[in-house]
Amino acid sequence: MKRLSENTTDLLKEIKAEAAELPQKKRRDFLLNGLKLSVGSALAATVGTAMAGKESLPPNVPVWSRKLGRGVVSVPYGHPSKHESDVVRRTVDWLTADSISSISMTPLHEMKGIITPSGLVFERYHAGVPEVNPDDHRIIINGMVDRPLILTMDQLMSFPSESVINFLECPANGGMEWRGTQMEALQFTHGMLSCCEWTGVKLSTLLDEVGIQKGAKWLLAEGADGAGMSRSIPLEKALDDTLVVYAQNGEMLRPEQGYPVRLFNPGWEGNTSIKWLRRLEIGDKPWYQREETSKYTDLMPDGTARKFSFVQETNSVITSPCPEKPMMHRGIHHLEGIAWSGRGKIKRVDVSLDGGVSWQTAKLKGLVLSKAITRFGMEINWQGEPLLLQSRAIDETGYVQPTLSQLREARGSNSIYHKNSIHTWMLDKDGTVSNVQLG
Amino acid sequence: MYNWVKKYFHVLVLIFAAQGFIASSAFAKEPGYYGLGRIATEEEIAGWDIDIRPDGQGLPVGSGSVSQGEGIFDAKCAVCHGDFGEGEGRWPALAGGIGTLTEDRPEKTVGSYWPYASTLWDYIHRAMPFTAPQSLTDNETYALTAYVLYLNEIIDDEDFVLSRDNFAEIEMPNKDGFFIDNRPDVINIACMENCKDPSKIKVTSAIKGITPLKHLEQTAAETENKVDSTKRGMGVYEQSCAMCHDSGLAGAPIVGDNKLWVDRIAQGMELLVEHATNGFTGDAGMMPAKGGNPSLSEEDLVAAVEYMVSQSR
Repeated sequence: MKRLSENTTDLLKEIKAEAAELPQKKRRDFLLNGLKLSVGSALAATVGTAMAGKESLPPNVPVWSRKLGRGVVSVPYGHPSKHESDVVRRTVDWLTADSISSISMTPLHEMKGIITPSGLVFERYHAGVPEVNPDDHRIIINGMVDRPLILTMDQLMSFPSESVINFLECPANGGMEWRGTQMEALQFTHGMLSCCEWTGVKLSTLLDEVGIQKGAKWLLAEGADGAGMSRSIPLEKALDDTLVVYAQNGEMLRPEQGYPVRLFNPGWEGNTSIKWLRRLEIGDKPWYQREETSKYTDLMPDGTARKFSFVQETNSVITSPCPEKPMMHRGIHHLEGIAWSGRGKIKRVDVSLDGGVSWQTAKLKGLVLSKAITRFGMEINWQGEPLLLQSRAIDETGYVQPTLSQLREARGSNSIYHKNSIHTWMLDKDGTVSNVQLG
Repeated sequence: MYNWVKKYFHVLVLIFAAQGFIASSAFAKEPGYYGLGRIATEEEIAGWDIDIRPDGQGLPVGSGSVSQGEGIFDAKCAVCHGDFGEGEGRWPALAGGIGTLTEDRPEKTVGSYWPYASTLWDYIHRAMPFTAPQSLTDNETYALTAYVLYLNEIIDDEDFVLSRDNFAEIEMPNKDGFFIDNRPDVINIACMENCKDPSKIKVTSAIKGITPLKHLEQTAAETENKVDSTKRGMGVYEQSCAMCHDSGLAGAPIVGDNKLWVDRIAQGMELLVEHATNGFTGDAGMMPAKGGNPSLSEEDLVAAVEYMVSQSR
């Protein structure tokens, strides 16, 4: 074999050093390609090829450290790094007839902490997103009140404000799986769920301002969208913790979330938190609107249906590992998940690795707030054995998240909404995770 | 307590006075306390107050017949809801399904499920047709409501004219089919040990290929590579390396004994692979080239070394 020039020998060393960093299949291809090229004549070109992708790793000085970046306000409103382009809302086309009256899901597998970024909050529209001009938007409060009011946004925002951190969840979250598994990823099994800081005026403040008349028991909230989305809310809730919200995560609401103003009922079915709120009417009876009769009622096996099932009951799911986040190596793993309850704080979360035969109590992490997403974690040492992973949340009322069999026993399989059962991921010995149900 | 309050009443008054605004904000305000906004006019409210209740509250003056409704339905509704309200594609069916609510596949329609006819009037008027909400007149809404009730055989007279005056006479078949939320309806116990018989756990596997998963493919491929490599490494190790490295024969560092490996691992994979490939004689003993198996491929050898290192960290 012809002796290589000194330059070529150095180059080979470089190629070999870089190849050491690669996974082995890529490494072999890389070594082969590198060698083929370096022995050939196009030496100059080879340097570029060999260095591509690795030139920023130590001991080299990274590319971005050797030049200047962009200046202030080159992007006046910041957005995520281009390397995060996979972190997006997704939908399942066959769920609905049309994207204008449909739903999308939050990428829960990519979420950190408890706050969902505004741009990733799941969407649910009944007639698309209306483009509301806040200058021309009004809120009318009428019905059984002493002083029927009309408010501009500026006037609304002049009332004393309150901020809360609460989850928002569609009662249909998980509802595709009453009869069996249908969804292959966490984003689709549990992604109709988000958690934000919400800022607005307590509805009780506005109700004081208008003066509720004797005998009033219910309130109708109505949106300015093409669906005139409307729900009846008991006055008891309205006077407790309901907010009229105009901001989310520190800025005005996103159009998808009801800009410029929405109702927010902490812990309750997301659809009761009417978006693009235009009117509140006080009355003595519920209105039985389409979205509280035809929809959002829960059909039982005997043919009767539960109505006004407002509360989102305690739920939880393991987010790592999950189908989108398989186990990448054997050894110590920090298993992580989220739990939430519409009735208050999460008190405890237990984890089972064997499909519910035995349970261990996980650690609650970070903020534990009422009616908010709460993180839990537990260390496990995985040596490649198949596992059936489950989490079981308990809230401060003592309610224990039920099994799917228990829910089916009580409600059958046709109630669509409020499926908050213990979820099972099957971890295969190859590290992949799939959605299963246990019989 | 009460005596104490009496005795120090003047002090309490001072405290409240000093706290002024804070103290007053703790109690419900009189209507108009903030004085924000203005009283809405009757005209303003009338334009937006479109809700209809089961008792007829909110229904405007007006009327429409079944046959008028049929004409409007064919022109504006049938494209989604079907000629007879059977529903096109995934658009909602409006008719049929009576008696199916207890069946395995219940059909929930206006006739089989909806408890009140007022909901129909209200929803048609506020949200239909889908592409042109709030475009129907009150009379058109009466006519369409009549026609949908006719499709459901709740009205059987083609000449029937529905109006505010006779609206209350409409009775829906499922009006008594609903009950108020009575949850929690399911009680689970937080059992910790021996909660079920492991031999009786049956796994229902997922239906594949019906959710969009492009974003998962890359991760899955990476996992596969990684896991393949671990599996392959273990296989090669058992075949070609375990004889010495399980026992320490010929001074071989025993796999799993971190003390024997920590310095070796520190030298880096490159050197370990080179020694394994070409053989190596050191103070501790002798490693034959490729463990004495010349047919071992480079890929297999690297997998085996990676496996041994992973087990010995």
